[in-house]
Amino acid sequence: MSEQEAQPEPLLSVRGLKTWFPIRQGLLRRVVGHVRAVDGVDLDIHPGRTLALVGESGCGKTTVGRSILRLTPPTAGQVLYRGHDLATITESEMQPLRRKLQMVFQDPMTSLDPRMRVRDLLEEGLRAFGIGATASERLDRAAEALRRVQLHPDHLTRFPHEFSGGQRQRIGIARALIVEPELLICDEAVSALDVSIQAQVLNLLGDLQAELGVAYLFITHDLSVVRHLGGDVAVMYLGRIVETGPTADVFAGPLHPYTRGLLGSILSADPDVPRTQAKVLGDVPSPADPPPGCHFHTRCSEAWAPCRTIAPRALVRGRLTVRCHLYDEAVSRPPERPSPPAS
Amino acid sequence: MSALLEVEGLTTTFPAGSERVPVLRDISFQLHAGRCLALVGESGSGKSMTALSILRLVPRPGRVEAGSVRLDGRELTKLSVPDMRRVRGREVAMIFQEPMTSLNPVVSVGQQVVEAIELHEKVSQKAARERTLDLFRRVGIPDPEARFHAFPHQLSGGLKQRVMIAMALSVRPRVLLADEPTTALDVTVQAQILELLRELQAESGAAILLITHDFGVVNQLADDIAVMYAGRIVETGQRADVLRGALHPYTQGLLRALPGRAQSGERLLEIPGRMPSPKDVPAGCPFAPRCPEATPACPAWSPRFTEVGGRKVACLMRESRGELG
Repeated sequence: MSEQEAQPEPLLSVRGLKTWFPIRQGLLRRVVGHVRAVDGVDLDIHPGRTLALVGESGCGKTTVGRSILRLTPPTAGQVLYRGHDLATITESEMQPLRRKLQMVFQDPMTSLDPRMRVRDLLEEGLRAFGIGATASERLDRAAEALRRVQLHPDHLTRFPHEFSGGQRQRIGIARALIVEPELLICDEAVSALDVSIQAQVLNLLGDLQAELGVAYLFITHDLSVVRHLGGDVAVMYLGRIVETGPTADVFAGPLHPYTRGLLGSILSADPDVPRTQAKVLGDVPSPADPPPGCHFHTRCSEAWAPCRTIAPRALVRGRLTVRCHLYDEAVSRPPERPSPPAS
Repeated sequence: MSALLEVEGLTTTFPAGSERVPVLRDISFQLHAGRCLALVGESGSGKSMTALSILRLVPRPGRVEAGSVRLDGRELTKLSVPDMRRVRGREVAMIFQEPMTSLNPVVSVGQQVVEAIELHEKVSQKAARERTLDLFRRVGIPDPEARFHAFPHQLSGGLKQRVMIAMALSVRPRVLLADEPTTALDVTVQAQILELLRELQAESGAAILLITHDFGVVNQLADDIAVMYAGRIVETGQRADVLRGALHPYTQGLLRALPGRAQSGERLLEIPGRMPSPKDVPAGCPFAPRCPEATPACPAWSPRFTEVGGRKVACLMRESRGELG
């Protein structure tokens, strides 16, 4: 992609998304606070392209995916898709759109009904959206969907437990793709798989994107997978996106101290790379009680006074967008700290 | 140098119908004091079963069928049950993947470490408490006096794993079995715990048997590597040698399948098919059905090691070509 090429219109845009979970206490189950799982997230997913959403456990990345599809209702914000705001439309308006927005989960054993044969699992979506006029047409589509994920049409009559983890994940992918979606949300879709099987599924997802032009929102904690996927990446920490941009640019020159620490924590299997030194100390704080200001300031080696009180705003620096006071000229600096480089 | 832990011909079976199916076949390795050996493999390769077999903790109806496990020359397979229990607590300690399920939820973490110390040594309550606080400091638990009274659920995953490590070290073990010690942790915390294990090993001189599926973790901690497939060791060698130039086609395939090694967007190398379950392990070389180099002779060849320069590989193609050194 050339530097000047204008970004096409996003397929799906998330603006100011908030998903809060009430904390209830006492006999009357009164709401005494909220877990701010997602606390003001902006994302753009482009047609036929991959956006990796990466972060550690509890950062809210899974809730973002679920909120986009309204599997978990968002508290505030917009999810803009083809002129609709998915956050506010009615369920009957949402229903036909679900065909175009599909999801693959981490554990295919718990997301596939164990009592249904593969054929029925695949045809369920076709029937729900009225695809395929006749039973034989639906069967043809189901067989085709299996072929696409490199399984054999003989597998149509089998049950989920007869398959290995990798094969079940292929069935999950086939089931999502059979209704021809424009966006596939993959929530830790390869995390439970062994290395050799993970490679098979990652290659398959790459082939399917090239063939079908489907966009992926790839939710993962695995930075090696993110780098491999390419496309764009958004780094999430305690409910907020701290940095986003093309994956190659973020890996080549991360701006946010958290991104730098995260990338510095990747364990290389190359014996010629020096052993990793822990870059970010401590643990992720509880999302029920996130630190004020920049959520990362408690673990950040570069934090100073404003980081503890003021939430950083989004700043565009080159091809990256970062939320960090280090890059904000408007934030007063301690005497020893130079002004940020002009962008 | 004689080995601290010497495992030879370890074979463990489980019943399947009327016969017994081996889940470990002829496992042999040596672990030297002050070194870390990584058993690496995918799920079902037998790496955790190896640890359980060494500790004589194989769940029924499984049993160790044959083989010898010597700790400093002492045969563990022949020890009485109470003697073996003492070995497990005092000389060989374990760290597991899931600290939450290994800690007692209703006893404070400090008290749990105190009890572990008192179980194995005659010390006063006060001395055990002092040593626990000292251990908490050593494993990097901030504010140890306050954390002493915390219950497991009040601690983060990283802190719980630090408590587990403190407990394992409390008996000053000679061998530490670490089964996926960082797999359940976030990446930033994982880097911290691996650094801690490295420091503690350098300090205590304990030997570590590291069980993991992650070559990144192996590269951080291990001195030596044994790669397992379908209940067998297929390749052993020093860390850098194996990672730089694996000899067995399975190890080569695993390393090429890692997403971190390929260029972004490049296809990953796939190993077709999957690991067989113990009852389906084929005769001959167990990897032959998935192996890109397999010949008609491989399914008829019973695996044995070819050894050159401290490295061992169980592959007919390497044996016949003498491709080593």
